[in-house]
Amino acid sequence: MRVTETLGAAGGASAAPTLRRRGGARWRAAGATLPILAVFLLLIGLPLATVIGQSVFPDLFALRNPSFAFNPAPLIHALSTRWALQSLLHSLELGMVAALTSTALGAGYAILTVRFALPLRWLIVPVPWLVFLMPSYLKALAWVLLMMPGGYLVQLGVIPPDTARGFFSLGGLVFVHTLSLFPLPAFIVGAALAGFGGELEEAARLSGNSPFAIFRKVTLPLLAPALALSLIATFAEVLSDFGLAATIAHQARFGLLTYGIYTAVADYPIDFPAAGAQALILLCLILAAVFADRMLRRQGQARLISGRSRSARPPSRGPWRWPVAGIALVVATLALWLPLAAIAGRAFTATLGNGLAVANFTTANLTAVLSYGTDANAAFLDSFGYALVTALAASLIALILAARVEAAGTGLRGAVLGLAIGTVAIPGIVLGFGYILVWNRLPGFTGWPLPHYGRPSLLVTGYIAASLPYCLIVILTALGQLSPSLDAAARLSGHGPMARLMRVTLPLILLAVLTAFLLTFIRTIFELPISQLLIPLKGSPLPPLVVNLFDHDEDGLASALSLISMLAAGGVAGTLWIILRRQLTFGRGTGDRS
Amino acid sequence: MKTWKITALATVLASAAALPAMADIVMYDKLDFAKDVAAAFTKKTGIKVDVVQPGSTGELLGKIAAEGDNPQFDVVWVDGSAVLTRMLENGVVRPVPEKILKQVPFTKLGESLIPANHAFIPTGASTTAIEVGSKKVAKADWPHGWADLARFKGAVAAKDPNFSGPAYQWLAGLFQTNGVEGGKKLLQEVLTSKSLASFSSGGKINKAILTGDAKIGINQDSSIIAKMRKGEPVQVIYPKEGSVALPEGLAISAKSKHMAEVEKFIAFVFSKEGQAAQSGGDDTDMYYIPVVKGIKAKGDRPTDINFIQLDDKAAAAHETAWKQWYRDTFVR
Repeated sequence: MRVTETLGAAGGASAAPTLRRRGGARWRAAGATLPILAVFLLLIGLPLATVIGQSVFPDLFALRNPSFAFNPAPLIHALSTRWALQSLLHSLELGMVAALTSTALGAGYAILTVRFALPLRWLIVPVPWLVFLMPSYLKALAWVLLMMPGGYLVQLGVIPPDTARGFFSLGGLVFVHTLSLFPLPAFIVGAALAGFGGELEEAARLSGNSPFAIFRKVTLPLLAPALALSLIATFAEVLSDFGLAATIAHQARFGLLTYGIYTAVADYPIDFPAAGAQALILLCLILAAVFADRMLRRQGQARLISGRSRSARPPSRGPWRWPVAGIALVVATLALWLPLAAIAGRAFTATLGNGLAVANFTTANLTAVLSYGTDANAAFLDSFGYALVTALAASLIALILAARVEAAGTGLRGAVLGLAIGTVAIPGIVLGFGYILVWNRLPGFTGWPLPHYGRPSLLVTGYIAASLPYCLIVILTALGQLSPSLDAAARLSGHGPMARLMRVTLPLILLAVLTAFLLTFIRTIFELPISQLLIPLKGSPLPPLVVNLFDHDEDGLASALSLISMLAAGGVAGTLWIILRRQLTFGRGTGDRS
Repeated sequence: MKTWKITALATVLASAAALPAMADIVMYDKLDFAKDVAAAFTKKTGIKVDVVQPGSTGELLGKIAAEGDNPQFDVVWVDGSAVLTRMLENGVVRPVPEKILKQVPFTKLGESLIPANHAFIPTGASTTAIEVGSKKVAKADWPHGWADLARFKGAVAAKDPNFSGPAYQWLAGLFQTNGVEGGKKLLQEVLTSKSLASFSSGGKINKAILTGDAKIGINQDSSIIAKMRKGEPVQVIYPKEGSVALPEGLAISAKSKHMAEVEKFIAFVFSKEGQAAQSGGDDTDMYYIPVVKGIKAKGDRPTDINFIQLDDKAAAAHETAWKQWYRDTFVR
């Protein structure tokens, strides 16, 4: 039997002393969380404020006579220009459409892979991870290689040049965003599906409901929080994306806010007020979405995992699994194998213009990447090291923060989750510039030994700041599925907060922590804007090197470096996942979670 | 509890282990050969050089602008002179000392590229030329001047001067030869496809010609020549109106505390070993025009180009306005 509780509905008949004790505990927990929130604000809030603040304090970092003089003119100018309004509308339009399509695809993919015993599962299940592993700018470049009028698909006669030209439009952007972002909803919905076993659906089935009615009346309502979270997370992702904004959107003349910020800051002198104003607009959009989500879900959230859950229902082995596998393979081909083939094709060819002709094939690019002691090798190894440190630190900080926030109650949880989702949308380029301003210009921050501008320590700090929101979302979502009764039972048994976190909470959410670790690890290896701006003096990390190579007509070498990096990162992450997953025994299939 | 402490300690130690030793000189650059030159210099002198290369020239300049009055570089080495002049005006770089300039046996072209304010020392040159997709345009139809590009309107690719130093140099040169209004009118006639008019690098122009919709490009000649040498179907044409020489400028940070090392580095750049390191590979910038007597250009790279002298002062004075016009007209 499963215990289902709803927050906010539990305390109606409680006695006053109990309420006071609970209130006191919450205040204590909130007090304990404050130092960690201060770190969160230092990592994200202050750098962001230095950039956004310049929309109304334009002389804050002026070279001559810097001042705090308030002047809203840059903000008014940014809001009143035609292109700014157009970028805002374009960003909203693309964000909403792509959030809907990617959530629909991701949720569908998760449901199909969880609920059907699919043939060729090994080809289907890892696809969201592999798509997620591929950075946005590489996906964009791959689709440009495929779809440009003289690109691979036209060269192979798959599509005519006019169709290729039509791809560079809102439709093409939505198409690539959908295929690029569907892993995020697939992870969130997949985790939610794994969280609630099969009892409720089984009960509905025994009550004579059809499969469609069960899905509509039971599964969908249970998935609603995960779907809402997916919509907001993907909306935020689309708004903050730069890879597609700078390639397909730029070619399609579909101006987006992130590209507007980029054009303001990639110049000498920087137009910081314009960048700040556009970043402010972007942040307001995300916060509005988060606020709307909180308003819609005021009734609270279902707590579904308790100590007495039964196993999830076994996947269907009916005849439908074959066409379902076919659909999943089509998605996998479009989202992963085709872009990967474009990158691989370019990695193994000498020139772009001579296409996929046999005479054009070469292994020179791969040989160059694999040669020891080259810049590519150094960047590759450095990025893996940075990613490892970042993933360890970010998942650890997020775990501690999430556990304390969870203990403090729904109010703080909602605020932190909102803040985390809001900060996901901050373009890395804004955060990167904020880091330069704080750690190289702001009195009191320059000259710190750790982090220090120009050294890997600040780059890693920037990476941690950029990944912390993701880690928090993943871990808080998993914690949100735990029944408070488990923690309460451990507390009544005399265990302290850290012992409860280690012995009760952590084992139950270990997969989520591991997910957060691997997500951070992968994202950090390929993180571009922060890497570009906080590039350490000792040498370039991987992403700026790849982009530099692309910019310098070295597509083949850049593609080879990307291909090998993706294979290596995927191999490391996949091996870790398989090993650790085998070590974790959650009693699924035995009905025992103790 | 113990596990947490061990994990936290391991994290801090791992971060601390990532701290590198400081080099003697920090160089920000956007030139293909800069790393090779730095490596050769270190090998010869033992002086270490950290080379920082962010993305495009725009991104590099944005980084320098964000660092403001606390620049972290000792030398900056980029294409284009106007932006370095602005940096001098803002006190980000210092004038190159006369004694350094006098030590270099400049060619006539090299001497012509030395700015009056000594904002930088020219180490080489290139120019902006017309790039023709030779599979797309019959030889009889090849353009020979900027005005001829009107025949290819909608199929001409260009770089956004807001991202590219060389592109701004070209824009300023075009306004100098055609007059500002004449230049603007010509560009509005030619660059009718906005999606082709705002690339951030020469590589993207090449791509647009080789596999995209562009037939013609306005591109740095070294980028076109590097592609030709790799067998790509493109051709370089120098406009009959003349071309503005684009210096590769090396400037010194106003806050550098390593002037002795910087002077040695600059001397090395103009030495035979330094010049050899600048042309040792096949990358775009390695096809530069030498500005030192006795040094020959790589391969059969053309050097007898009809150069015109850019008015650096005017280019620097109008930089913001002209870049803004380009952005408003062709980018947004």
